[in-house]
Amino acid sequence: MNTTPQIKSLFSLVVFLLLFVVAHAQVHCGLVQIEPNTSVNAMMSFDSFTKYQGGYVINGVARIKVRVEDKAIADPLCSWNLIMTIDNNPAAGTPVAEWEELNQYGSGLGQNPTIDALEIRVRNSCGTSPIDGLFTTFTNNMDVIDIIAPMLPVTPAGTCALNTNGPGSYLSHYDEFNFTVDIRVKPGFRFNPGIFQLNIKFRLEENI
Amino acid sequence: MKKVGLLTAAMMFAGLTTVNAQLIDEKDVTVTLDLQPVLQLDMSTPDQIEFVFDDIDEYYAGITHYGATILKVSSTVSWDLYAVGRSTGTNGPEFWDQQIDYGNSNPNAQPNLPLSLLELRQAQPNNGDGAAVGAFSDYSGAFSPSSVPAGGNSLYVNGGTNTAPTANDKYIAGHAGTSGIAGQDFMEGGSYMNQNGVNSNYYYVIDYRILPGLPAIFPMAFDADGATAEDLVSVNGAGAYAEPGVYTMYVQYILLEDQ
Repeated sequence: MNTTPQIKSLFSLVVFLLLFVVAHAQVHCGLVQIEPNTSVNAMMSFDSFTKYQGGYVINGVARIKVRVEDKAIADPLCSWNLIMTIDNNPAAGTPVAEWEELNQYGSGLGQNPTIDALEIRVRNSCGTSPIDGLFTTFTNNMDVIDIIAPMLPVTPAGTCALNTNGPGSYLSHYDEFNFTVDIRVKPGFRFNPGIFQLNIKFRLEENI
Repeated sequence: MKKVGLLTAAMMFAGLTTVNAQLIDEKDVTVTLDLQPVLQLDMSTPDQIEFVFDDIDEYYAGITHYGATILKVSSTVSWDLYAVGRSTGTNGPEFWDQQIDYGNSNPNAQPNLPLSLLELRQAQPNNGDGAAVGAFSDYSGAFSPSSVPAGGNSLYVNGGTNTAPTANDKYIAGHAGTSGIAGQDFMEGGSYMNQNGVNSNYYYVIDYRILPGLPAIFPMAFDADGATAEDLVSVNGAGAYAEPGVYTMYVQYILLEDQ
């Protein structure tokens, strides 16, 4: 009896089963989606001392409506996280801590706006995020701020609890699955005049 | 054993076709910041400041208008502020415009009065003049007594243009150069509106004086750096004096981004 083919087949079977288990272990949810996920452009124009001194706030510049559904056969491990990152287009030569310069007015002898001049507040009615209602800032390109942090234990929807990350939808649990984004810039008189840009990327992922 | 192999292959195929990736969605919010430069000079002053010399004491002691002009600065960028004497050029680019003359046409009576005979004094010293190299960096010195001619307050003039003063000349705030070092040659952005205390780098009270002297030669007239006298005798020779008449000129205050 030749045992080598048998051992090879059994080995292949074991490897496959491991792969199968691992591959399927990454998917606990049936749907993970931000609605709508179209991009938003916000213009903040500073053309008076009132705005320079007092700052400029746009409340509700975007709404992150989360929709996470179970698979047909519900997986109790289905949960999600929501983070935001900042992007200043470093490929254009932007220094790591500054806004991307699109155009400059005047002599440009001063400092271009720094990323931390942009303040962001994320909130929902239940206050499910630990940073709910607080203006937070980024410092450098690709910095990450957690709204609902990754890899937290599953907190089911429906109880208005902190870090709610179980399956649900803004349609059924609006107060937990709808995040309103506010932005504020208070430049003072520190920065070069000009046109500058930053991109905030909101990323919704299922926890693996 | 072949069956085991086939089963394995079939399951692997089935398994591979059902492998799923982690579910992700993203949304972008792009913020564009339009920082428009705002330089604002608020000036409180009479439309016209008149110096009428009709008394001999006024020739001797001069006439001073205290606090005739108040300058209030608001700027979102680093800035400089200076004053420059100008006229329409009737008598030449650096002279007062003679509107009318009184009296005869004595050859010693000079109709060309230098713009620099007007003296300014600023109440708040220039705190952005570290890079200045001239004898007088601003107009903050006291008016000199009539017996001691000095150019510390004579108005900056540059050929009838509004060209900015050099490092040798006078600014009200800030100075020539772009060192980028605060206090050296610029004033930092800000506004008089949120300043506390009696003094502010964004608030300047300006006094004016004209001192003709007797004879009326205007001994306080000096060139831009305050080093060379421009009184009528120094320029025209002994015996010269100002022709009586009505003269006009204007002072241009210029607020600009640090340069």
